[in-house]
Amino acid sequence: MNTGKAFRSGLHVVASHSSLWGLFLQGDRHAFAGIYDAHIDDLFHYGMHFCQDKERVKDCLQDLFQDLWISREHLTANIGNVRYYLISSLRRRLLRALRKDRRYQHRESWEAFEFEYTLPLENQLIQHETIEEQKRLLQEALSNLSRRQREAIYLRFFQNLSYTEVADIMSMQVDSVYNTISKAIGILKKNLPLPLLLLLLGK
Amino acid sequence: MAASNYLSYTAREFAMDEDFQQWVLHPEQRNVFWESWLRQHPEKEPVISDARQLVQSIRFRDYSLSAPDKEQLWDAVLNGLEEEEEEATIPIRPSIWRNVGKYAAAVILGILLTAAWWWWKPAIQQPAILSTYTRLGETRHLMLPDSSEVTLNADSRLLYAVAGNGQREVWLDGEAFFHVKHTASKQQFIVHTYDNLDVEVLGTQFNVNSTGKEIVVVLQQGSILLNIGETSKGKAAALYLQPGEMLRYNKQDGDYTKKSVDAIHYTSWHTGRLIMDDFTLADAAIFMEQVFGKKLIVRDTQLLNYKVSGSMPIVYNADTMMTQLGKVFRMQFNQRGDEVWIHKP
Repeated sequence: MNTGKAFRSGLHVVASHSSLWGLFLQGDRHAFAGIYDAHIDDLFHYGMHFCQDKERVKDCLQDLFQDLWISREHLTANIGNVRYYLISSLRRRLLRALRKDRRYQHRESWEAFEFEYTLPLENQLIQHETIEEQKRLLQEALSNLSRRQREAIYLRFFQNLSYTEVADIMSMQVDSVYNTISKAIGILKKNLPLPLLLLLLGK
Repeated sequence: MAASNYLSYTAREFAMDEDFQQWVLHPEQRNVFWESWLRQHPEKEPVISDARQLVQSIRFRDYSLSAPDKEQLWDAVLNGLEEEEEEATIPIRPSIWRNVGKYAAAVILGILLTAAWWWWKPAIQQPAILSTYTRLGETRHLMLPDSSEVTLNADSRLLYAVAGNGQREVWLDGEAFFHVKHTASKQQFIVHTYDNLDVEVLGTQFNVNSTGKEIVVVLQQGSILLNIGETSKGKAAALYLQPGEMLRYNKQDGDYTKKSVDAIHYTSWHTGRLIMDDFTLADAAIFMEQVFGKKLIVRDTQLLNYKVSGSMPIVYNADTMMTQLGKVFRMQFNQRGDEVWIHKP
């Protein structure tokens, strides 16, 4: 696996977040608000994909941020990736909340981490029916992925967590995260609309 | 890692590569490695665009929290905390500043002492006055005593005062984004510019920029009343702005125009991002001059019309920002003192 760590871009983004984190640990309320602003959208998005219950997600988020502030003195300054920390904390809270609620037990929700298939703009010349048909085929193929597999793919592609972080959050081996994503990409490769691939080759 | 490995990669293998994914998914973070690699191996273009397609086709359904919901949730967090921290009462906190150096610490101490003095001195209601400023290349986020928040852009000054009747007033020279909080007794909040224009609000989010020849006010949320004073040419006027509306006021002749805009393009700087929609090199020049005091100079004025769209983080370091903009516009930026000469590469 060639992860190209040396070239991972966006290091400065992480750095500025960690300095916000540093101020937050010292009790700076603005830094706390900054952390909330920077992460609330993505955390909510994750929560909704996780359980599709807006009120429950909001409750968990409120607890998460309150506990974050209260326990700030016990948190590490070398957090590395604040997003990773917050998402894994939200995941634990959601799991705990759902476990208490019997209705949700063993529920393999269809909507959880559902893919949305949209064609890139430059290919909209393709006939409408073809697109609809391709979409349907692709959805069908992707629905063979389990909820856990879809979640792993979501965490890498939407939340920008590294393969290692995804593995840690989901208590999986890095190899199985890699295999899961490989499987999804394989499905996409097989099912991407043919005219689209021809267009690309013709370039 | 040996970059040469990539030569034997298939589209699927590229699509699996973490660094490649990063490049495709986060184009705002420039990745010099892949750009130069592709330049060196133009024959790989079809495989790369194939792989790019694969990565981009992984999308997820959108869920978003509305702005009022977001604010409500934040208020709930704070309210919950206040209950927790009831014992630890601090009488007054005029402001806590971010990114302040040791000198500012002394200033804050001074303000705290003064505020404490005001606080402990009963019966006489004194007006609170606070002032702050930013230098070139820095911004400052501050909370006013009434809990309103202000982000001050570079090279700007702000003075805050509360009158005896609780009316809040600020004087702004430069650019600032305001998030004004309602007070229980609905006291007004007025932004004075050093020209003939005042902004009156109750509670809302808006941006005021008075750095150029015009004063530009953009309303993001809520509603504001603009008071334009009488000039030799024009009569005094008062007009309301709706969310997403912008007013440009010409400092010289007092003329003004109102139009609808995408507010985010004017306010995103306060969240540390530059959101560019048909952003011309001329816009970039205005930005560099306002924020860093750098003058961008082109020999061929045609270049000023070059446009880009997208978004990028604002880094408060003139050299870094210039390099980033240079890459985005594909231009060469050569710096001589505070002047920056721009050429096509």
